[in-house]
Amino acid sequence: MKRVSVDIGGTFTDCFVAWENRYVEGKALTTHHNLALGFNAALADACKQLDVENTTLLSQVDSVRYSTTLGTNALIERKGPRIGVLVTTGFKSTIPLSRARGYGEGLPESEQMDIPNAVRPQPIVPIPMIREVRERVDYLGKVFWALDEEDVRLRIRELVDAGAEALVVMFTNSVVNPAHELRVREIFLEEYPAHLLGAIPMLLSHQVAGRKGEYARGTSTIMDAFLHQTMYHGLGTLELNLRAQGYNKPMLVSHNSGGMAQLNSTDALQTVHSGPVSGVAASEHLAAAAELGNVVATDMGGTSFDIGIVDQGGVKHYDFNPVIDRWLVSIPMVHLVTLGAGGGSIARFDRLFNSVEIGPQSAGSDPGPACYDRGGLKPTVTDADLVLGYLDPKNYANGRIPLNPKRAKQAIEDHLCDELDMNVIETAKLIKRNVDANMANGIATELRTRGYEPRDFTILAYGGNGPLHACGIANALGVSKILAPPYSSTFSACGAGNVNQMHIHEMSTWTVLFNPATKSFFSDYETFNRDVEELERRGREDLLRQGMQAGDIRYRLELDMRYGNQRVQTAVVTPLNRLHAQRDVLALMDQFHKSYGARFGEGSQSPETGVRINTVRVCAYVEQPKVRFSKLKLNGNTRPAPAPVGRRECHFVGLPKAVDTPIYGEDALAEGTQIEGPAIVTTRATTYLVEPGWTYHAAAQGGVWFIRK
Amino acid sequence: MNDQISKEDKALLDKFLADNQLFLGPDPEIMRNHSLTPRSRAEDEILKKGLDNHQVHHVRGLINAALSEAFTMVNQMGAAPGAKWGDLVTGIYTAQGDLAMIAPHGIIAFAACCFYPIRFIVKYWSNDPTVGVKDGDGFIHNDARYGGIHNTDQSMMMPLFYKGELVCWLSSTIHEGENGATEPGGMPAAAESKYDEGIKMSPFKVVENFQLKRDLVTFLQNSVRDPKLQLEDMKVKLHAVMRLRERIIAILDQYGRDALIGTLRLHLEDTETEMRRRIREMPDGTTRVLQFMDSSLRENCLQKISCAITVKGDRLIMDFRGTAPQFLNRSVNTNIASFKAALCTGLLQNIWPDLPHTMAVLSPIEIITDRNSIVDAEGEMPQAMSLMPLFKGCVVWTIPMNKFNYSVPHKYSAVIASQYDQAATFIYGGLTQHGDVTGNFCGDINGNGQGARSHADGEHSVSPVFGFMCDSGEHEINEEDTPIIRLGAQRLAKDRIAWGKYRGGMGYEQIATARGSALWGFMTGCEGSKFPSAQGLFGGYSCPSYQLMKIKGINIFEELKKDPKVVEVFDIVKLMNERPIKGGKYSSNDMGMTFEVCNEGEIYMICQGSGGGYGDVLERDPALVMKDLREDLMSHENARDIYKVVYDEKTLVVDEDATKKLRDDYRRERIRRGKPFEQFCKEWVTPEPPKDIPYFGSWDNNREIYATTMGQRVKMPAEQLQGAFMLNPKDVRIMQLEGELEKVKAQLDDCRKKA
Repeated sequence: MKRVSVDIGGTFTDCFVAWENRYVEGKALTTHHNLALGFNAALADACKQLDVENTTLLSQVDSVRYSTTLGTNALIERKGPRIGVLVTTGFKSTIPLSRARGYGEGLPESEQMDIPNAVRPQPIVPIPMIREVRERVDYLGKVFWALDEEDVRLRIRELVDAGAEALVVMFTNSVVNPAHELRVREIFLEEYPAHLLGAIPMLLSHQVAGRKGEYARGTSTIMDAFLHQTMYHGLGTLELNLRAQGYNKPMLVSHNSGGMAQLNSTDALQTVHSGPVSGVAASEHLAAAAELGNVVATDMGGTSFDIGIVDQGGVKHYDFNPVIDRWLVSIPMVHLVTLGAGGGSIARFDRLFNSVEIGPQSAGSDPGPACYDRGGLKPTVTDADLVLGYLDPKNYANGRIPLNPKRAKQAIEDHLCDELDMNVIETAKLIKRNVDANMANGIATELRTRGYEPRDFTILAYGGNGPLHACGIANALGVSKILAPPYSSTFSACGAGNVNQMHIHEMSTWTVLFNPATKSFFSDYETFNRDVEELERRGREDLLRQGMQAGDIRYRLELDMRYGNQRVQTAVVTPLNRLHAQRDVLALMDQFHKSYGARFGEGSQSPETGVRINTVRVCAYVEQPKVRFSKLKLNGNTRPAPAPVGRRECHFVGLPKAVDTPIYGEDALAEGTQIEGPAIVTTRATTYLVEPGWTYHAAAQGGVWFIRK
Repeated sequence: MNDQISKEDKALLDKFLADNQLFLGPDPEIMRNHSLTPRSRAEDEILKKGLDNHQVHHVRGLINAALSEAFTMVNQMGAAPGAKWGDLVTGIYTAQGDLAMIAPHGIIAFAACCFYPIRFIVKYWSNDPTVGVKDGDGFIHNDARYGGIHNTDQSMMMPLFYKGELVCWLSSTIHEGENGATEPGGMPAAAESKYDEGIKMSPFKVVENFQLKRDLVTFLQNSVRDPKLQLEDMKVKLHAVMRLRERIIAILDQYGRDALIGTLRLHLEDTETEMRRRIREMPDGTTRVLQFMDSSLRENCLQKISCAITVKGDRLIMDFRGTAPQFLNRSVNTNIASFKAALCTGLLQNIWPDLPHTMAVLSPIEIITDRNSIVDAEGEMPQAMSLMPLFKGCVVWTIPMNKFNYSVPHKYSAVIASQYDQAATFIYGGLTQHGDVTGNFCGDINGNGQGARSHADGEHSVSPVFGFMCDSGEHEINEEDTPIIRLGAQRLAKDRIAWGKYRGGMGYEQIATARGSALWGFMTGCEGSKFPSAQGLFGGYSCPSYQLMKIKGINIFEELKKDPKVVEVFDIVKLMNERPIKGGKYSSNDMGMTFEVCNEGEIYMICQGSGGGYGDVLERDPALVMKDLREDLMSHENARDIYKVVYDEKTLVVDEDATKKLRDDYRRERIRRGKPFEQFCKEWVTPEPPKDIPYFGSWDNNREIYATTMGQRVKMPAEQLQGAFMLNPKDVRIMQLEGELEKVKAQLDDCRKKA
């Protein structure tokens, strides 16, 4: 397999190249003005290691895959076209009012609670660019107010005259009857044919999101329209860059659903957060390859801590209404939770409880922690890590960032020590302990609300600060096994190289499997099967359009089910792709019963109040060859620790005195190396902190295990 | 008679009384005490031994994570609309029943009232051989007279025993809605006595060995309109509490009993200490605010809530004396415990939102009321629509506390005018299109407009007055479950603005009808149709008053079928002014509508309201005025008349110089109109309330209370308040009509005589 996968992040562009049996990583700074330059540099870094030319490599690889934060950046910078929106009469303020709670979406809890200071985000669509159209469809899809076509023409004209560069149509209940939205597009094309200069795109909400919920579907469509041009130009430039260097296949783009597709089969919205999601995809593949069982994927960077879940039984965890930037949207996105905890998280004295609070405020990378010596004055997690002896001041981030320990100490003393009446070391330990506990609590909540126990999981720790805090987090959680994965510094890029070409289509439905009032069971198999077939057809066409073979296409049917009038959306993955008999209906209900009981507790099920399917979802995909992870499992073959490259006095939570701690270098990554904690391994990519009570085991391909004794 | 009793005799008599109680009703000793109980012996021993603050912090984090997990479970599994929109809580209490912590996103109000029923259980059921409290038990409760906000909320409470010792209590509460009251939806405005309020559960055991007792569940299902909801959510609450129990036991296993008991107690005491510290930061003095409720939800009448806040060192005293007396046969009373919960909510929502959400916040505050007033009603009074005074309690802080806080150097949040404080939502009931009986309310209750701030306009429809991050929902999803069709789902209510240098955040119109039901109806439980609800701050305007509009006798679906252009847009003002649907009966009503049947296609229209304005309208930046115009939030008439801005209506370009001159002229005009305070008082102050207004509360002396009872005005000493008995509005109407008939008959007789 020859393959290039790339993750373009806010700071670095990571590149992972599979070149037959060799896997190499490349890294370069992201070049925001022209992403292709950063890509070329990262690729060149990898090619140098392989001793091949960029053009040689690109002309031979089977695919180039991207995951990118381009969309996220465009949203933050509000770079996008002026959008006009048509809504059903009566729903004019649905988007601006954002279900009331929109003021706080995407904010830390402390800011959500501070209602007097609430500020909704700057709108993507200002109120004057929203127009109402006379039409209405009911929840079953029946039209009770015919579309007023004259009104449509008038409102489109108004929006175009007001400078709309893209149009969105968001009609109520269009997912169950899209006729009015489709007719609006016909009218639009009659008025503004696509071949004319200045033609602008029109996006229909039912085509972007298939589920009910007018607000979330509306924001999804708006965001898609907003990102469309930026993403198209950004990714289009990258594709042209590839062509110029000899790559003549379609470029593939990672999706936040955990799949990928060609550029011409990608919605802009699907690319947002695709980088972190690729990390979860890589974790999933790694977990299967190394037989890790259940895995919680954690990515601790400078400002945030991402948590993803990989279930060994194949249960997929999605957010159906994730928050992107500050908006709730309606897309099935791989579940990912972000906590405000990273190296740059600021520690502050909590007067109320006479303790230390960590984050969510972050010093970021500019000015960064106090020890960066770039003007940051507040103490951060990285400052505490430095004071405790874990970081090498001269060799941090491969020597790119020199650290000033005096600044770190001073910041901690100035802001915390007097208030706490503690010395700087004890205070730094407290910071470490609290930030690890915060992350552990975040993981525990995530797992337990889904019916899992953290002790049944292996922690996968990646990101710049992941291997540094992994033992502390695991201590707080009661987890005994941690794997810092191979290629951890380019893990998301590696993940992008592992995903399948996949498309998800979903549909809201009113399917009552069991009606307690009439004591009747669902029997309209024809309608159900027709809906599933329709979703399969859409997925199939997506894949055939991209050159996949019909025979290679697989389908996974997922049903969002609920009891009575509950809100819960338990996605049940069912092998029953069609229903033919009452026993199939009972089997579905039984599967839901088990899944619900495992999540919320046996006995919590309420089938007597009725069982319903809310959403039908079909994932159509084609399996692709994967990056091979080998020899990750511990096999008992060990080699002794190499000679330490130095020693430092380090301080550990729970130990009263400093410990003379050996420091190891890159050679500790040699497969089989075993080191008893406490110890520190500093490599080009990261720092591994082996806390007391843990043992370090180097696996193949640069993977590292931490095992609790 | 010899009334000298020996100590021994008294003890015997007390024992007799304790052993022979007729009815274990709400206990004033419990219900009137909002302070922390003194430390238990165990708590005292643990805290005297000393705890590591940082370990406490860690344990607190674990408890928070557990509460959050249980909250998420209820939110996801719950069937009641309230559960889906976040109107719920999970909490942990000390063994004595003090509420220590709630889930971070839980409704604040619950934090200040869920402890009363637990204190009741501890006091009465623990040692009762017929009840008892043991491992695996669960207790249910909904009657606010025993604690709680109102009877539509149901709680599941569970004791947690660790190694045989009761170490804490756990609970989960949901606003369930339907409770079998005289009107569907759980908040019957028509209730004339507490016996119209539906099921009233004093705290009782409904779970044994961690299992619901089916006989009792059946009894409860039999008592409400929605047995499905009752069963479903009882299971939900039980399993959430059981999950919470598992987590707390894990904490106990890891850190020990002392760490948990000590953390819970210290959390409360630290919070109380911080409260006193913040009170001390404010200047000593007294500030006041008067609020008025303009309806009993059956008739228009003006009820005063009088509040004076006094700061003295670290004491904060809230004096509500002079407030309207309770109603004997109207549902808008509240008991003092529920009212205190509302006060706690307001403090945490609007003044110091960074404080922990726990009852300890209220603990150092002294509250003075007149017994039998509308905010301190006696137990027999109907309280089904206690939301009316409770919502006032939530916002009562904003005006007086911002006066205190304005000059304090460190501010914990923004200086803000009052939020709109009405439950401006449709309450509904009847048969769904799927044949289920239901009754509940819509998520629009969560969209109150925010008050303006000292630095910015208020946010439109941002939250309810009782919680944050609450959800007003998605109508496509609501329409699947109920036959309500939104013709106007969310349209910002143009020109209905609380003006100011910064304007209040606005509310939105809600236009609803029903389709596909054999029997459906609506009610609305709102005031503020005559007297504005949200007050402005430092010169900002109050919000306008809002009415309920109806178009009856039509079927809009048939009308739209016949002529799709019959309605240009579903906009309340246009519909009412232009009356485009022929044959319809258009009416404007106050917002207190008891349950009324809505025939298919009839239209009901209400409005979420605006928060209060901040500062002088003449100081509003003309650019902000133009922005409001561009967003169609206001008309040109108001831009000119109120803000005094000169601009081009087509281009919205402001003539700065002309605007300055106009505003300067207007300031001079104001000065010309001004008069000395004494003269103003002479012209405006009257010795008693106007005769034609049904007025309730004090006038110039808060020890004398006015009321109208049985149609007659009365004045009574505040120490001896009597409840007001209101005539049946229908009887009043009949009397009016009979009077008019008599007049007409007399005129007819005159005519006949003349003829």
